[in-house]
Amino acid sequence: MTVAALFFYVFASICVASAVMVIASRNPVHSVLFLILAFVNAAGLFVLMGAEFLAMILVIVYVGAVAVLFLFVVMMLDVDFTALRQGFLNYLPVGGLVGVVFFGELVAMLMVGAGALAPGAAKAITDPIPPLADVTNTEALGLVLYTRYAYYFQAAGVVLLVAMIGAIVLTLRHKPHVKRQNIADQVARTKATAIKIRRVKPGQGI
Amino acid sequence: MLALLWLTPALPLLGFVILFATAGRLPASAVAAVGVGSVGLSAVIALIITASFLTTPPEGDFYRQVLWRWIAIGSFNPEVAFRLDPLSLVMMLVITFVGFLIHLYSSEFMAGDEGYSRFFASMNLFVAAMLILVLADDLLLLYAGWEGVGLCSYLLIGFWYRDPANGAAARKAFIVTRIGDTAMVVGLILLFTRLGTLAIPELMERAPQAWPAGSATATAAAALLLGGALGKSAQIPLQTWLPDAMAGPTPVSALIHAATMVTAGVYLIARTHVLFELAPAIQLAVAAIGAATLLLAAFSALNQHDFKRILAYSTISQIGYMFLALGAGAWTAAIFHFMTHAFFKALLFLAAGAVMMCIGDEHDIFRMGGLWRRLPLAFASFLIGAASLAALPLVTAGFYSKDMILWGAWTSGRGGPALWAAGLIGALVTAIYIFRAVFVVFFGEMQIAARSRYGWRIAVPLGVLSVLALGGGFVETPAALGHVEAFSRLLEAVLPTQREVAAAPATQATVMAIASFAALAGVFIAYLVYLRRVRAATILDTSAVQRLHRFWLAGWGFDWLYDRVLVRPFLWFAQLNRDDAVDAVYDGVAFSSRVSHAYLSRTQTGRVRWYAGWLVAGSLAAIAIAVFA
Amino acid sequence: MNEASALYPALPELILAGGAMVLLMIGAFGGERATSPMLSYAIALLVVAGLAIAAMPDERVALFNGSFVVDGFAKFLKILAVLGSIGTLWMSGDFLADPDRRKFEYSVLILLATAGMFVLISAGDLIALYLGFELMSLSLYVVAAFDRDNVQSTEAGLKYFVLGALSSGMLLYGASLIYGFTGTVKFAGIAQEAANGGIGLIIGLVLLFAGLCFKVSAVPFHMWTPDVYQGAPTPITAFFASAPKVAAIAAFVRVSFSAFPAIAAQWQQIIIFVAIASMALGAFAAIGQRNIKRLMAYSSIGHMGYALIGLAAATGEGVQGVLVYMAIYVAMTLGTFACIVSMRRNDKPFEEITDLSGLARTNPAQAFVLSMLLFSLAGIPPLAGFFAKFYVFLAAVKAGLFTLAVLGVLASVVGAYYYLLIVKIMYFDEPAPAFDPMGNALRSIVAVTGLFVILFFAYPGPLVEAAAVAAKSLF
Repeated sequence: MTVAALFFYVFASICVASAVMVIASRNPVHSVLFLILAFVNAAGLFVLMGAEFLAMILVIVYVGAVAVLFLFVVMMLDVDFTALRQGFLNYLPVGGLVGVVFFGELVAMLMVGAGALAPGAAKAITDPIPPLADVTNTEALGLVLYTRYAYYFQAAGVVLLVAMIGAIVLTLRHKPHVKRQNIADQVARTKATAIKIRRVKPGQGI
Repeated sequence: MLALLWLTPALPLLGFVILFATAGRLPASAVAAVGVGSVGLSAVIALIITASFLTTPPEGDFYRQVLWRWIAIGSFNPEVAFRLDPLSLVMMLVITFVGFLIHLYSSEFMAGDEGYSRFFASMNLFVAAMLILVLADDLLLLYAGWEGVGLCSYLLIGFWYRDPANGAAARKAFIVTRIGDTAMVVGLILLFTRLGTLAIPELMERAPQAWPAGSATATAAAALLLGGALGKSAQIPLQTWLPDAMAGPTPVSALIHAATMVTAGVYLIARTHVLFELAPAIQLAVAAIGAATLLLAAFSALNQHDFKRILAYSTISQIGYMFLALGAGAWTAAIFHFMTHAFFKALLFLAAGAVMMCIGDEHDIFRMGGLWRRLPLAFASFLIGAASLAALPLVTAGFYSKDMILWGAWTSGRGGPALWAAGLIGALVTAIYIFRAVFVVFFGEMQIAARSRYGWRIAVPLGVLSVLALGGGFVETPAALGHVEAFSRLLEAVLPTQREVAAAPATQATVMAIASFAALAGVFIAYLVYLRRVRAATILDTSAVQRLHRFWLAGWGFDWLYDRVLVRPFLWFAQLNRDDAVDAVYDGVAFSSRVSHAYLSRTQTGRVRWYAGWLVAGSLAAIAIAVFA
Repeated sequence: MNEASALYPALPELILAGGAMVLLMIGAFGGERATSPMLSYAIALLVVAGLAIAAMPDERVALFNGSFVVDGFAKFLKILAVLGSIGTLWMSGDFLADPDRRKFEYSVLILLATAGMFVLISAGDLIALYLGFELMSLSLYVVAAFDRDNVQSTEAGLKYFVLGALSSGMLLYGASLIYGFTGTVKFAGIAQEAANGGIGLIIGLVLLFAGLCFKVSAVPFHMWTPDVYQGAPTPITAFFASAPKVAAIAAFVRVSFSAFPAIAAQWQQIIIFVAIASMALGAFAAIGQRNIKRLMAYSSIGHMGYALIGLAAATGEGVQGVLVYMAIYVAMTLGTFACIVSMRRNDKPFEEITDLSGLARTNPAQAFVLSMLLFSLAGIPPLAGFFAKFYVFLAAVKAGLFTLAVLGVLASVVGAYYYLLIVKIMYFDEPAPAFDPMGNALRSIVAVTGLFVILFFAYPGPLVEAAAVAAKSLF
């Protein structure tokens, strides 16, 4: 138990610290790297909770794909982040105040709300989850994702479809003078369409 | 067949919609076909319904057609429903039939006017609204029709709106009737709050249970409804608008300001007669107002130069007779007179219109003269109308209805003889003024070129109305003359029969003879003064009589009086009060609105960070409210 | 009952989502040529979906473990949303005719947005609520920026997206708090636990409401509205102002009554605050506006304030009032926007209210109908807008919220100023050059909504009774 607790604090503190660094560091590349660090530590927290599937997904999808994509974008676009952050100090008091109030409310809520959960809540939470000892995480998710939660799954799929359509419709431009490879055309070429035979009289050229 | 009832108002309404939507783009022939055809069909349906109603009377002698529930809010859930009973049947028949004849007449009379389509659109809407008014089962729907006819009246008086005088006349009519309408709305609200319904049958059932006769509430309710009726029917003190309303085209005057709309007040009182019986003081007031109005208007009519204004004052006077009858409790007589009046007054207006059309729109009767040779049809029909209006005995419809009113006044008990005397003097003056018009316009020297140029569409309505003005009275004759009671038997299911004071048939015959004599005497006096110009008539030129003449010409100075007592003080006060505290309040509202707009629009900076800040701040505020409130 | 027929209550959603995908295929292979027929296909799909909804029984049916609920309430609002979407597509013909904008995705996105609204309206738990919310919003962000070569349009899209993401975040935060304090995402389950949820639940509720308020653009979550309404292409603005508002209000009402009846006293306070603020801002901030689309943005903020009065009453009558309000609001909005879409000269859109000068002389019919619509928006009897306000005020008064009703009446007095100002400009100012003649599609929308607004008073029964039936299914 103590080992687990030790690791929890290690992961959690690194996670929070790197989250702060994401917004604090001057160099955008460093920001993204800190973001990756935060993700990895969050994955560690998931492992501690026994949610190994989520942990792996987090590493593969967020670290492996999303964050790396961010990195590419930041490096390729050469965004002037210092300019973007120009007004930071101006907004800091307001933003900080809002943050403090929210935090205060959260604390107050936990203090005042003592029991935190409604009496029936604990039971309700455990309801749909099969015992962890019997089935693995992945299997448990697989059991419900396409049955019990098929509706959410499909709806989320449609949301992603919209995102895809949106990305295409807002950015795709057909430029008229770009040469494209059309494999069907290439394959369909015959001798007749590709070459033309001319009889050239000797000594006259074409 | 009774189920067709809804079509009678729906068809003219449809005609209005078509004409309104096409906004003058239809050719004149199509406009006439739609405008006249819709009312014509409506009249045919009304006839079919009448036949069906008379041959196989529905149970309880009424037919109720619920179209839909208008709205349902708590206990207030009025239905849009029509009620056909003998009273509304008579009204409906007269409106559609006379309306159709006048539409037919107008299709020729108004030909070539640039607002031809607008004219028929308004006329159709008027017929629809008037039918809704008389068929309504509910005072609310009745009120909708009531305002609808008011609107059409306004639109049609100001039909030739390019002349500011016509616009002023239209406004005057609208504003003066509005005073009455306001009283009526207050009355409706009073009835609803006290009796919990506006459906007429329920009202008439609950009122006697809730209020003892003569109670203050009943009196107030009846008085307020009477206020509405006075405005619409141009009775003292709200009579001043009707003579000016003659600014509209003549068919409008015939239909709206003679035959139908102005009698809406009579209909309203007859419809709610239970209330008036509960308030004897108000009923007496109705009779007194009627008597006063009929005399006042008759003397004014005697002095008018304008052909149409004579008829306008005559209308006021004749409606005064109807009010007299209502006040005397002779309900049936009032409705009977409404019917005959619709016939002969429409006839008079249409004939006058035909005359004026043929002489280049001249209105002053003293510039006419000797027209009977040139315009024989107009002369004949005007003469018939005049005879009926003057109640020449035995042969005219007006005689029977007026006789019924006079007899009703005589036997009414409360102030009977006085009312009767007023009616009798009125009858004498009526005969004088209308035959004055006949003699001045059609006899004597010819002073104006006249060319007869009316076609069948003018001739037919004149002919039909002439027949009705003569024969329309034979549905109800007094005991001494055949004792036909078809009309009163028809209406006895709706209107109570008069409490007959015991009177010998001989008395009735005597009373009738006196009235007949008065009418004939009136004609004779008019003949002496205006055609023979007997020497005694020079008394008319003395200055005292001339002053009286001017006084009566101006309608007893009511316009002058209202101007001095009401309009000018009001304008003066408004002038004085230009920068009062109330104004400052409104200015303050406007100012503070501008200031708050300036501040609020400054929050809209267009910057996303600022907006995001608002989002968060807003949720913090909401949390604070939810947690601490 | 076999598996397929068990899905019958979700038929409209399936029609829209499946149809959208089919259209996507047709468009992908058909290219630009497919754009204009695509519009009519999409309208046909919406009509079919609408008919499918109308054919549903009024009884409550729950699917997918209660995540998806079909009842009278859902039926009423879905039909309203469908009408809003059809109206939008109907008036988009001219907008899509421009070669730069001839993209078939437009119709597909509107269809998917409508599917999102359906999910939102039928949501039976927080997850479905969020998914519907995102499906709808994401499509809206894209269509807002649809005119991608226009700076204002892209700015509108981006602003909407960034702020929308923030509001989604707040909504999710609220939802997670609610889940944390009640242990369930189901509305029915939350309703059981809500009474002992304590302060944490209330904060969750407030954040959830903040997200919903953002979508109905209620003050103080309204800041995006004027900028986005002004920047987005006009038919899109018409869409923003109609269907999504219906769906968001539906979600608002359903969440309030099916998940939090136990703490009605708390959320009533928030709704009252939001309603008053919206009415006031909608009235005061609009009076100086010169751009008619921006003006309509403030107008819609104000109208949402009035609609929320019905919710604040927290009674069945209040819900009925909200439903009647939304139905009339959608009609008025579509009609007014059809008139705004028609403000074009030589194929260029004009948006200032002074462009309407003297419209009564250049196009009297349009001026008349637009005046009626504006009078109705101002709530002048006997037009439909009066009845809309009447029912919500009535509900507020019956629930004892006199102050709210009085403030509502006062705000509508101030609001009347700017509607009447436009009427004044149309009738009394010197005529500006005439607009291009209206297309038949726009004409039909203007005519239908105009007739509805003018004639509603004669026969309000069917709508009011349908709303009463719909409202009853929530209690």
